[in-house]
Amino acid sequence: MSRLIPIMLLAAGLLPANLLAAGAKGVPAPATGKAGAVSTALVPGDLGVPQGEPIHAVLGIPPNVPPPINRNYPAKVIVELEVVEKEMPISEGVTYTYWTFGGTVPGSFIRVRQGDTVEFHLKNAPDNKMPHNIDLHGVTGPGGGAASSFTAPGHESQFTFKALNAGLYVYHCATAPVGMHVANGMYGLILIEPQEGLPKVDHEYYVMQGDFYTTGKYREKGHQPFDMDAAIAEHPTYVLFNGREGSLTGDHALSAKVGETVRLFVGNGGPNLVSSFHVIGEIFDKVYYEGGTHAQENVQTTLIPAGGAMMAEFRVDVPGTYVLVDHSIFRAFNKGALGMLKVDGPENKAIYSGKEVDSVYLGDRAGDNLHAVAVAAKANASGTLSKDEQIKAGQQLFEGTCSVCHQSNGEGMSGVFPPLAKSDYLAKLSKDRLISIPLHGLTGTVTVNGKDYNSVMPPMSQLTDDEVANILTYVLNSWSNAGGQVSKEEVGKVRAQPAAAGDGH
Amino acid sequence: MKRWLALVLLLVMTGGAFGGSPLPGDSVYQFNTGLTDQNGHVWHWADRRGHVQIVSMFYTSCTMVCPMIVDTMKLTTLALDAKDRSRLDLLLVSFDTTRDTTAVLRNYASLRKLPEPQWTLARTDHAGDIRQIAALLGLQYRQLPDGDFNHSSELVLLDADGRIVARTTVIGRVDPEFVQAVDKTLAVH
Amino acid sequence: MRGLIFLASMLWSLVAAAADYVPLPGGVFNSVLPADGQAAPARIASFAMRTEPVTNEQFLSFVLAHPAWRKGEVPPVLADGGYLSHWESAVSLGERALPEQPVTRVSWFAARAFCESEGARLPSWYEWEYAAAADAHRTDARTDPAWRERVLAWYGRTSATSLGAVGGDANVYGVRDLHGLVWEWVDDFNALMVSADSRDQNDADKAKFCGAGALAMQQKENYATLMRVAMLSALKASDTTRNLGFRCVRSP
Repeated sequence: MSRLIPIMLLAAGLLPANLLAAGAKGVPAPATGKAGAVSTALVPGDLGVPQGEPIHAVLGIPPNVPPPINRNYPAKVIVELEVVEKEMPISEGVTYTYWTFGGTVPGSFIRVRQGDTVEFHLKNAPDNKMPHNIDLHGVTGPGGGAASSFTAPGHESQFTFKALNAGLYVYHCATAPVGMHVANGMYGLILIEPQEGLPKVDHEYYVMQGDFYTTGKYREKGHQPFDMDAAIAEHPTYVLFNGREGSLTGDHALSAKVGETVRLFVGNGGPNLVSSFHVIGEIFDKVYYEGGTHAQENVQTTLIPAGGAMMAEFRVDVPGTYVLVDHSIFRAFNKGALGMLKVDGPENKAIYSGKEVDSVYLGDRAGDNLHAVAVAAKANASGTLSKDEQIKAGQQLFEGTCSVCHQSNGEGMSGVFPPLAKSDYLAKLSKDRLISIPLHGLTGTVTVNGKDYNSVMPPMSQLTDDEVANILTYVLNSWSNAGGQVSKEEVGKVRAQPAAAGDGH
Repeated sequence: MKRWLALVLLLVMTGGAFGGSPLPGDSVYQFNTGLTDQNGHVWHWADRRGHVQIVSMFYTSCTMVCPMIVDTMKLTTLALDAKDRSRLDLLLVSFDTTRDTTAVLRNYASLRKLPEPQWTLARTDHAGDIRQIAALLGLQYRQLPDGDFNHSSELVLLDADGRIVARTTVIGRVDPEFVQAVDKTLAVH
Repeated sequence: MRGLIFLASMLWSLVAAAADYVPLPGGVFNSVLPADGQAAPARIASFAMRTEPVTNEQFLSFVLAHPAWRKGEVPPVLADGGYLSHWESAVSLGERALPEQPVTRVSWFAARAFCESEGARLPSWYEWEYAAAADAHRTDARTDPAWRERVLAWYGRTSATSLGAVGGDANVYGVRDLHGLVWEWVDDFNALMVSADSRDQNDADKAKFCGAGALAMQQKENYATLMRVAMLSALKASDTTRNLGFRCVRSP
């Protein structure tokens, strides 16, 4: 609550940096001896005056963090953070205007040591539209620096604080309207290492959850503006790790080797939702809950409040893909809150038999290896997508999305899920009709290879145009089907039309 | 003093003041306008060039913080070495173009014992000029429906060329850093 | 007498040829910033407002006639280093500043001087907010989600694309481009004494602001307008930014 103590829009907040600098010139810096005299009444956590040369902080770009500090004295640390307003993809084919600390969501990871004196420079890029500031939850003082860092576009603010309390803290923009600045991605983490440092681990990673509000639906293509009403109603379109769907999956997955130790620094920027953070298939050996000093052991799921953080440590013993989710589980599969940790190394059957029970659970995004999908997406972007690449990508997507019902061999389940293999039904369909099935679903009786099926296939509206094209191309060219090819453009055309009335036949 | 001011005014108008040394680009005297003091003398904002001074803005009917602004300016003067005190000028510009007439300012100066020539209380009929001076000094104010003013309370230290060298939001007691800045500015003056 | 009226209208039309002003009736208006800092509405006298923001072309004519306001001539205390920095030179626009684009990278002092040169002044915040509350059919459309969404859409676009030209759709008064093009200076930008930490509610430190303390912003769901206040309150008078322009008003 101390952060809500009022600060007025006064000298530091309103005055130009150059005036402040001029003012500072008129005031000699306190002599070291004098400051030392004052330091006889140090507050807890204050380790005295900074020693040595000032250090320019190295910032961590998510999902990476700066290296451990390994310093045994308090120093002056200079942190320079630039606010950048930029358009970036939020999901495949969907863009959003983010406001960022350092050009990424979450913002750059800041790492200092307890007792350090932090000279903070907040720069607001000249081309930005909005004024911004920063409230660091790791600052002891009114507003966490917010009033002292209120900065117009093309300006820079400076303030200094002493890092008194060790822990993992959220920082965020607190300029009106605060909710919108946070919803647009203006948050990150600052780690204040305890004097003795953190226990050594093999990997450290930085993950932050946030909820996003767009006027278009989940995965609706094109540029999507911020939806204020949805934000006030707390109905997010996306719930994401590191600001973008897929930021921690496929080629971007976190990685480790069997037998190694991992530390996750996980924050929750909000603005609205609380996270039930869980890693499927892993048990956290230790969770420093709420980013504090005490650790709970053997934790499955840990709660991260909006504007809060936690550190988790664990050893990975079994190879495979571990999926990071918000276990408020619709967020994981319908709003994007999915990430992956890939662990390489020899099997350990004594600990785990190897049967991949999570495969059904994982949904379309979490297949073991989406390499071919990535290749296809790349080729597609450069206009060189071949039929073979489409088939390969389609196979992997089929495994993730379709095989649950239609089975990997395309044979379905007699009387329940119609077969796709050697399907006379598919052979009779027009291409548009074929495309419309994954897009719009299929309800009603169909006869396939002489058998009636009366079931409901839901629309696979989460699939993008090229994903649908790849899957259908794969199906047409597998299991003795007649062959053929479906393009992204053809799918786009069908998607733009309304669903045909009277599905079935 | 007033005669001296008039002389400076004449020199500025004829372009002969300060041996023609150009006004720094960051001087608040890059803007100029006429003001009237508590004795009805008309002078110009930029005439203050050549004086190290503490400037603030106020209005006489203010009962909350303005009396403390005046007291803080007094306390700051007293915190200086006796020999330096007379070299520091003190300027208060009123927000209240309607109620703070010359007579009201004169009465306020005598009531609050603000001696000349050190203290100048200034006014103008032009609200736009007041807005401009406040903007130059980085002060904020707005008029309330009842005629009172809501304003930021700060002391601003100007060097002889009108550059802002220090400012303080500490009101009601002496800000030692601000006093140091005054000392230093007077020392090079 | 008749001659005088004729002369006056002649003069008026001469000035009006330079820029179009339309009359707005006065009124009582619920601003996001209450007049007394608590709840009182603002009272606005009738005034005339420029239908469009000042353009590069118009500002160029101004600096040609007033050399003191050319870039390179203006002292830093009156305009920072970014002043007209996108112009090709002190007296020409060049490719990065099209004539019909709104002029940006101008300081409050420069904007004020321009308005004075056409017998006008910068609008007060209340005048600007009052005019900008309108849509094409209503004088106050602020509670309409469509109005808010349209205003917010501009904040949701980055500055990556260049500024559009003036001349958007007119609102019910005939004023254009109040939203969706640029930020605009107001005369009393340094009267918007909201807290730098916008999360302070009404618990103001009275000693810091003599009088009523920091203003409590109202209509907290009206993000569209609150963002203007946040932007203006972040500025000092010599600041110039890429997206900040202005227009003028006249009192009758």
